[in-house]
Amino acid sequence: MSLAAQAVSRSFGGVAALSRVDLELVPGEIHGLIGPNGSGKTTLLNLLCGYYRPDEGRILADSVDLTAAPVERRAPAGVARSFQTPRLLPTLSVLDNAMLGGWRELRSGFVASALALPGARAEDARLRERATELLHGVGLGRVLGRAAGHLEHAEQRFLEIARALAAGPRYVLLDEPAGGLTGAEIAHLGGILGVLRGAGIGVLLVEHHTDFVFRVCDRVTTLDLGRVLARGTPAEVRSDAEVIRVYLGA
Amino acid sequence: MLAGALFLIGLPLLAQDEYQLHLACLIGCYWILIAGLNLAVGYTGQLSIGHVGLLAIGAYVFAILAGRNGVNPYLALGAAGGMGGLCGLLLGLPSLRLPGFYFAMSTLAFALIVSELILAQGGLTGGGVGLAVPGFPKPVDTPAGFYCLVLAVSAVVSLLAWNVARHMWGRALIAVRDSAVAAAAVGVPLFRLKLTVFVFSGVTAGLAGALFASLQSYITPDTFVFDLGLFFFVCIIIGGRGSILGPFLGTVVLTVLPEAVAPLARLGNFFYGLLLLMVVLLLPEGIGRLVSVLRERFWPVRLESVAVAPDLPRLARALGHKQP
Amino acid sequence: MLAALVTGIATGAVYAAVALAYNLMFSTSKVLSVTTGHLCMLGGVLGAWAMGNAHLPMPVALALAVAGGGLAGWITDVVAIRRVLARSDEHLWLLSTLALATMLQQAVGLWWGTEPKPFPRLLAQDFGAGLGDQKYWLPVVVAAAAALGLELFYRRTLYGKLFLAMSEDAFAARARGIPTDRIRSLSYVMAGMLGALAGFAAGQLTFAFFALGLTLTLNGFIALAVGGLGSNRGALAGGLALGLVNSLATYGLGGEYQQTISVGLLLLVLLLRPQGLFGVRALRPV
Repeated sequence: MSLAAQAVSRSFGGVAALSRVDLELVPGEIHGLIGPNGSGKTTLLNLLCGYYRPDEGRILADSVDLTAAPVERRAPAGVARSFQTPRLLPTLSVLDNAMLGGWRELRSGFVASALALPGARAEDARLRERATELLHGVGLGRVLGRAAGHLEHAEQRFLEIARALAAGPRYVLLDEPAGGLTGAEIAHLGGILGVLRGAGIGVLLVEHHTDFVFRVCDRVTTLDLGRVLARGTPAEVRSDAEVIRVYLGA
Repeated sequence: MLAGALFLIGLPLLAQDEYQLHLACLIGCYWILIAGLNLAVGYTGQLSIGHVGLLAIGAYVFAILAGRNGVNPYLALGAAGGMGGLCGLLLGLPSLRLPGFYFAMSTLAFALIVSELILAQGGLTGGGVGLAVPGFPKPVDTPAGFYCLVLAVSAVVSLLAWNVARHMWGRALIAVRDSAVAAAAVGVPLFRLKLTVFVFSGVTAGLAGALFASLQSYITPDTFVFDLGLFFFVCIIIGGRGSILGPFLGTVVLTVLPEAVAPLARLGNFFYGLLLLMVVLLLPEGIGRLVSVLRERFWPVRLESVAVAPDLPRLARALGHKQP
Repeated sequence: MLAALVTGIATGAVYAAVALAYNLMFSTSKVLSVTTGHLCMLGGVLGAWAMGNAHLPMPVALALAVAGGGLAGWITDVVAIRRVLARSDEHLWLLSTLALATMLQQAVGLWWGTEPKPFPRLLAQDFGAGLGDQKYWLPVVVAAAAALGLELFYRRTLYGKLFLAMSEDAFAARARGIPTDRIRSLSYVMAGMLGALAGFAAGQLTFAFFALGLTLTLNGFIALAVGGLGSNRGALAGGLALGLVNSLATYGLGGEYQQTISVGLLLLVLLLRPQGLFGVRALRPV
């Protein structure tokens, strides 16, 4: 049971962005992915989500091979993500945005939906209820009806997390979720990540904010120039001489 | 809402002459097509400017089946809808994978191809001379009766579109329009959604074509000029993307306006082009948005800023509920 | 058969010229304008009016038509492109140029009438020249000269190099202090002049007809997509291929299925080689 990248390589125009990188994310852990700019963090995330195909290596989710699966097949496999710049639907309400995340649970097709058959209505109500609970949970309960375009930055970040959770994923990939948050908001984020871990979800945290990463993560992987520089517990990585030299500084 | 429905039902009694009723029927026919097209253009963001081709297909299928071959008009109406859907599928399969301008040009080409084929297959379609189109049997053979039929079909189509728009499918369609990246990330199959909606719009265009042909009682290829396709498109954009009421009002106003104001009729499509340009430049969200823009100008809603405070036990319950 | 070939090459040259105009505007703005064919139509109508109705000498009429096309190109940029490019909604420019194209077409229809009208002779030539008639070779000469001129423009002149820089990366070009708004306007004016010149030269072939614009917008686009977006060699090849396929099909099957066959050609090319004959496959960054 894991979301795994096995010896994946990817190059762009002859420049290797990743070479033979392994990463394993298991349910119930918070796994930090750090490294300097251009080290391949985003490329690795995009390989896991299907925006790029690896030149070599495989992507597996619970031993289902996703290497060649397009982006929209990742969510059904239990992989959800947030974006570095929030990608919300500005004209829709907060609740509608979060409900969209539950798409993979939807069984009723276009015709059932157009006829508003009881099954389709019940499904909609169930997704609405779950999204409402999640939004209250992440702290957006008081703005359910507000258009997402009117949200403040932190609210957008938390809405993205609620949307990622709406389909009950086993793995959540968060792309710099702490970017632009205040100290208090980062503490809230840490609390939310703790709950996700408790619920048995595997969280991959791509983040620049190293203090935060070392505080909340169970394991940390450091990339540099497309290779794994170090991996282990926060304490191990933090004291790794190479990591200090390349990334953390003295 | 209720008053509006009563007005629409009572219209045959209120109408002062047959011409007004004819106009109401025309609006109804246009709306049946636009209600479906709106899901593709307004919700999904697929800018089809060639739906007049699908309208023509529905019209000719109806005229040929019911007029030439004496098929029951209601069956012919259904066949026109089915044929519209099939042609929508055939058009959508190659073209919906293409980027925006390529797609728009494909639909334009489709409209031209349809009129070319109608002219070429004169034996079937009457060529440039055209075809007479029968009406419907009693009790729909009077103007009032026909109006009721159009009203019934419009109501059903509107209801279907509304159901789609306000449930999960509607959210996913808007996601396809506004952020394909986000849509794919939550697992929305983009192409399948676009195609499904496009086929639906084909069905409504076919139905609209059959009723339109019966209303006109005689059709030629010139009945289905390309400008008509542009007109449908303009109704939606002016009414506002992502709304159903807006495009409906757009259809009513844009159909009635040239009838009421003679100089506008002379300007014809120049006027529609100008309207479209003004809306795009000044109010890209449609005229319906004007109301909320003005409201925000004069009664600004102060959005109280609420500090984000997670309720972690509740989040745990919401997630725990899900986990096996 | 020979007649079909000659007609095909001549109409192909018109499509090629429209495709060149598309490329010119696309290079600086990444916009495909619906008005492209209408620029060409304007050249034909203005020329026919100037020579036929106003009895102006040919060079004056030519200057007038080209100036009119340039003005229409400039209006396209100012009205339909400039304000819209600032917003990041990719659908808007399609809507705004479509609206402007409709207005142009209808304005010409109201002023000029909706019937195709013949275009006067440009050069003194006997009508008995058959396939050597000016109406066949004039468009070809203009399209070839335009392609050659553009090539020289891109290679030899400062402005040409600025066009190329903007085509590569408009954002970087702006950052380096290139006046991108002015360059874009210039490219639209040039495209308008090119289109009008082609429309003027092809007037005797196409007639002066208000609805020609939309047909040319579509067929010029097909030529462009077949040849490969952004490539001028592709525009020539695509136009020629489309013109020949069209006229040979008309020769073989009759003229009833022209549009169907053009679109068939387009679909075939897009299926086998989505980037067109001379296009480069675009890298799509997320």
